[in-house]
Amino acid sequence: MNRRKAIGGIFGLVGVGFVSVLGAKYYIGNSSHDIEKLEGYLDLIAELVDVIIPPTASPGAKESSVHHYIFDFMEDCASRKEYTNFINGLNDLQETSVDSFNSVFEECSTTQKIQLLENLEESSTYSGILLKINNKLRGRSFFNMLKALTIEGYCTSSNGATKHLAYLPVPGRYDAITKLKVNQKAWATK
Amino acid sequence: MKNNTQNNTFDAIVVGSGISGGWAAKELTEGGLKTLVLERGRDVQHFKDYTTAFKNPWEFKHRSHLTNKELEERPIQSSHCDAGNKHFFVKDSEHPYVQVKPYKWIRGYQVGGRSLTWGRQSYRFSQMDFEANKNDGHGVDWPIRYEDLAKWYDYVEDYVGISGSSESLSHLPDGVFLPPIPMNVIELHLKEKVSKEYSDRVIINGRVANLTAPKKGRGPCQYRNLCSRGCPFAGYFSSNSSTLLDAHETGNLTMRANSVVKEVIYDDLQKKAIGVVIIDAVTKEEISYYAKVIFLNASTIATTAILLNSTSPSFPDGLGNTSGQLGHNLMDHAVNEGTYGTYDGLKDKYYTGKSPGTIYIPRFQNLNSETKHIDFIRGYGIQGKGERENWQSKATTGIGVSLKEQLATPGEWRISLGGRGETLPNYENKISLDHQKRDNWGLPLVEVDFEYGPNELAMMEHMTKSSEEMLKKAGFKNVGSYRTSPDPGAAVHEMGTARMGKDPKTSVLNNHNQMHDVKNVFITDGSCMTSSGSQNPSLTYMALTARACSYAINQINSNQL
Repeated sequence: MNRRKAIGGIFGLVGVGFVSVLGAKYYIGNSSHDIEKLEGYLDLIAELVDVIIPPTASPGAKESSVHHYIFDFMEDCASRKEYTNFINGLNDLQETSVDSFNSVFEECSTTQKIQLLENLEESSTYSGILLKINNKLRGRSFFNMLKALTIEGYCTSSNGATKHLAYLPVPGRYDAITKLKVNQKAWATK
Repeated sequence: MKNNTQNNTFDAIVVGSGISGGWAAKELTEGGLKTLVLERGRDVQHFKDYTTAFKNPWEFKHRSHLTNKELEERPIQSSHCDAGNKHFFVKDSEHPYVQVKPYKWIRGYQVGGRSLTWGRQSYRFSQMDFEANKNDGHGVDWPIRYEDLAKWYDYVEDYVGISGSSESLSHLPDGVFLPPIPMNVIELHLKEKVSKEYSDRVIINGRVANLTAPKKGRGPCQYRNLCSRGCPFAGYFSSNSSTLLDAHETGNLTMRANSVVKEVIYDDLQKKAIGVVIIDAVTKEEISYYAKVIFLNASTIATTAILLNSTSPSFPDGLGNTSGQLGHNLMDHAVNEGTYGTYDGLKDKYYTGKSPGTIYIPRFQNLNSETKHIDFIRGYGIQGKGERENWQSKATTGIGVSLKEQLATPGEWRISLGGRGETLPNYENKISLDHQKRDNWGLPLVEVDFEYGPNELAMMEHMTKSSEEMLKKAGFKNVGSYRTSPDPGAAVHEMGTARMGKDPKTSVLNNHNQMHDVKNVFITDGSCMTSSGSQNPSLTYMALTARACSYAINQINSNQL
């Protein structure tokens, strides 16, 4: 039994929101997306995407507004399951952060942030048929969504496509076989 | 009903402006006929209305994703469109139809129709295809043979611009080609390995309507691989970028968008069709137009729906339907969901530019006694594409700086293969009209009743098996297939429902795509197909259209129509 189920069981409240230790509501099955709630997490999402894709010689995900993309995706494109998983995942992560480091995620040290996300990745790693079953039953997990959307949002951002990858909107020619140059970057689009 | 006969009378009416309607418009206007083209959808002007063509990925709020609202409006079309081209696909919510069994009817209601979003693969049918029904007894015999169409294939290929290579295969005739789009290193690797491992098959450059050299002010292809947004460079063939512009040049074209054709008007006394009734899609006003000759090019299912809705004392079951075959023998290509594999090697090679083409493995089954199969008749071809993984396809591990580096590094080589198989004509696969249910214009809804038979299912199974085997023999790893249930309609190659044939008792159209029963009505879209072949069919529609137009013009000029 996972923690959410355990809490829900104790309070007998599965299916409705309730106040968690951080004063934020758990979100388990309202009929529409609770956008105000997601807005409250925008800064957290910005910190998360910047841990997943940090600034290096090229800009990071936060500077590339990937958190805004994730917000828009969640608002307009995510299924109810995905949205619920995402909000609950943010909540859980924040609670784990407080439990582990006595600090909300945004205020953790870089090392602590990385540790929190790496633990999360480990705990949400299914593969093959297990992943398929899990996705089908519960929707994509919080971490898998967060990472996939961060990668997509970054690689399709102006920064990601033009400064981190190689973007050629009008190639004008097709050289079917070229020699890969040293440190040649991958093409941003197919 | 507005019946200003003088202003509403033309020499010819063409219903539909997609790939075959565009050709009818060009040929008839160039033949000197004042021609009215009726398109049910909105106008789309070449270049100016390709609103997403130059957008960068980051200029789409949700990148390629459709929003939940857009998905709700497009439960069917959404598998075939994305944020970049969704405006060239209908909203299912506005254009409902009835599925007796699941069938995807993918549509683009606009000037240019699906010629804007087509896959551009262009292969000739061969003598073997035209004789297939006769030889194994499925369906009826085609009333034409390859030699009847060969010069028309030449004619349309020369105009369209097909890039491809000559291969001297009798079951996939060569044509008038521009230089082929070359293969990349992984595609060449597969080609060489398959040639070594198999004596029955070859891999060739896909034949696509992308211009590898400029043609009449169009192109060349800029290798953006964003074709389905409409090409500002006219790098591929669409009605909008070529046939309709040339038709307009003649001064003989009248284009009327937003014109939903309700029925063809048949005059029982003159024993011919005299025009069509349209409903203005916006004002819902009914208007009649008249002409000596009518070409129906509304697309396979839509053309037949118009005929079924065109009833008269002479034709109570639909215009030209004395055979009872109208609506029957619907076909679509049987497709598997695709096979893939990665290749560990050739890491020092890459490419510049994005190929809009493919590789092609022409049919290699049931060609002769050596390639005969016991589990299915006829056969399939396989299209494929090789690429080096980027962030869109590569598996990554971890987070942070190492993840970021993985994203910037070209990944493994990967090949994807997908089969396209012939569907047998079957009377039970059909469309009809549901008069109890009506659309926004008061017209009865189309009902589609289609399922694959044992022959198609066996073929699908085999295309997946043979694709996996080829990749394994060529040294690919992680070989797998997407095995999902059959997905009728997904190929967007619907054919049949008003087939050509020799005998008016068993077919709707004659050897000139002319209705047996109504000589001044021609049908040259996919409805006319007597069998489906395994080749992508648009090129054949274009050749049949040019041929039928030439015949119709001669008949008019000699006062026989």
